[in-house]
Amino acid sequence: MVGTRLPRGTTARVVLASSRNAWADLAATFTPLTWTLGWLGRIVAQVIFYALIGSLLGSPDRMRYLYIGAAVVATAMETLLVVSTSTRERYSGTLPLLVASPSRLWPVFLGRSVQWLPSGVATATVALFAIGPAFGVRFTLSSGFAAFGVLVLVAITTYGYGLALAALVLRFMRLRNWATNLSYTVMMLICGVTVPLSFWPVWLQGAAQVFPLTHTLHVIRLLEGGTGDSLTILTSLGLAVLTSLGWYGVAAFLLERLATAGRRRGSIEFAES
Amino acid sequence: MQYGRAVGSAVAVVGLRREFGGRRGQPVVTALKDVNLQIPEGEIHGLLGPNGAGKTTLCKILSTVLLPTRGSVEICGYDVESETAAVRRLIGIVFGGERGLYTRLTARGNLEFWASLYGLSGTQSQRRVGQLLERLGLDQRADTRVETFSRGMKQRLHLARGLIGDPRVLILDEPTTGMDPVAAQEFRTLVTSLQTEGRTILVTTHDMAEAEAICDRVTLIDHGSVLATERPSTLGRWITRYARVRASGLLPAQVAPVTAALSGLDGVATVHEVAEGTLLVDTAADGAAPAVMRLLLDLGITDVATTRPDLAEVYLRVIGNRGMRVDR
Repeated sequence: MVGTRLPRGTTARVVLASSRNAWADLAATFTPLTWTLGWLGRIVAQVIFYALIGSLLGSPDRMRYLYIGAAVVATAMETLLVVSTSTRERYSGTLPLLVASPSRLWPVFLGRSVQWLPSGVATATVALFAIGPAFGVRFTLSSGFAAFGVLVLVAITTYGYGLALAALVLRFMRLRNWATNLSYTVMMLICGVTVPLSFWPVWLQGAAQVFPLTHTLHVIRLLEGGTGDSLTILTSLGLAVLTSLGWYGVAAFLLERLATAGRRRGSIEFAES
Repeated sequence: MQYGRAVGSAVAVVGLRREFGGRRGQPVVTALKDVNLQIPEGEIHGLLGPNGAGKTTLCKILSTVLLPTRGSVEICGYDVESETAAVRRLIGIVFGGERGLYTRLTARGNLEFWASLYGLSGTQSQRRVGQLLERLGLDQRADTRVETFSRGMKQRLHLARGLIGDPRVLILDEPTTGMDPVAAQEFRTLVTSLQTEGRTILVTTHDMAEAEAICDRVTLIDHGSVLATERPSTLGRWITRYARVRASGLLPAQVAPVTAALSGLDGVATVHEVAEGTLLVDTAADGAAPAVMRLLLDLGITDVATTRPDLAEVYLRVIGNRGMRVDR
């Protein structure tokens, strides 16, 4: 009798094997030098651009606010590259092979784009801690370590949202660029990146709560300003984790639906163009 | 691998129909119409047909990436629709060309990735990957990125990937596309060697020589319907009645009267002058070819030859000439 259950530990092995694919992608895309001079330089320039807008407004507080927002959102932005990386599975013809394999889809995609997490954290770390002081952004040693940990959380939690978006785009490929850009713009606008959350109407503030970035960015601002109490910080981090878990769940559901709906509709092609 | 059921055929397709569209006013397109196909264990079976014939749709259903609209499809006794998980452990899929590989990974990395999806543990994976790399002649380049591989090497890696789960049924979708003749021949030898292990192989191809060289039986498919399933040699015999006769060495003055005489014979379909002094006669009835040859000899033309139809001609006759009836 052919068994239908895969051995215990298969899911973890798939995630790990898929993540090797992710590192191979990163190694093929960047050398340490091109990452530093090209990618990091570009992101830091973007962060400084936003800070200079604050400077032009003549307010050190606004400059600091914009700088932190732009630096932290760089992690989220980089993490959202999961959408682009995931859709490659369609273009490279591996999606039907993944669907036809005995494993499930979600562990593959969970590991497939993890290269962007450390890359995104490293980018924001350099921006916040190495260049930030020149724009008035200062952390104490302990708050700096804590902020670094929160940056890691920004990457992990946003990755869940990005995966859900990737699953949606894999099903509706025409949304590929539109969905990523819209997501990025919405996050920039309503998650407290460039404009304080309190600026928006209550319903929009409520909508912003579904983005883990809203909560993690809030915590980094509290840590930088030295104004947050432990309860507020832990509550915000808890909300970030909870919303993120929700997105991971949505991603897993949509990815498995991608396979089942694709089988029914015939949308999983052997050859994509 | 053991089976828990009495298995008659490795692949059993009964009354298979697949339709697309039909939603929001879209027209319904029928890709497969009441297809029946039985492939016994250990057979190399060719699937031939023009683009849009339904070959890929059939392969997708067998591969569990597409559901049938109607009918049943079983792989080694397991239903592709209701026992998908079991079917997926029994099949391997191999594409042709660049599709289906992670080119930034090494050959070993690719195989280890797919091994994890088939539930192989670390040790099992290392052993299986090592065996496949050696068997397919990739062990010397195992740790090189796939993007640097030649087409032939990529195709061998495709085959290794398809074999990672030790499948009983291997589905090859135009596996030698774009390969040079030497690499394609090597690949066919590899495929043939898999048959000795009792694996069943379904290969779709446009290459008639390939089908003739490696297939035990061939199914011709067009417009979603199976036209015929036969041994390659049998398909060839079918159209000996439509044999071609080539007459060469005609003087310019002979061409017109000989053409007229040949055209008047019963069973002659067409007569063309394909080169100066060379006529090609297509026949369309049993016994027409000998009559053509007799007439040519009577007219003093002795440089005459008949050609045995290969699968390409079968293909063209049965599918290319839509008006021609084929007795089954």
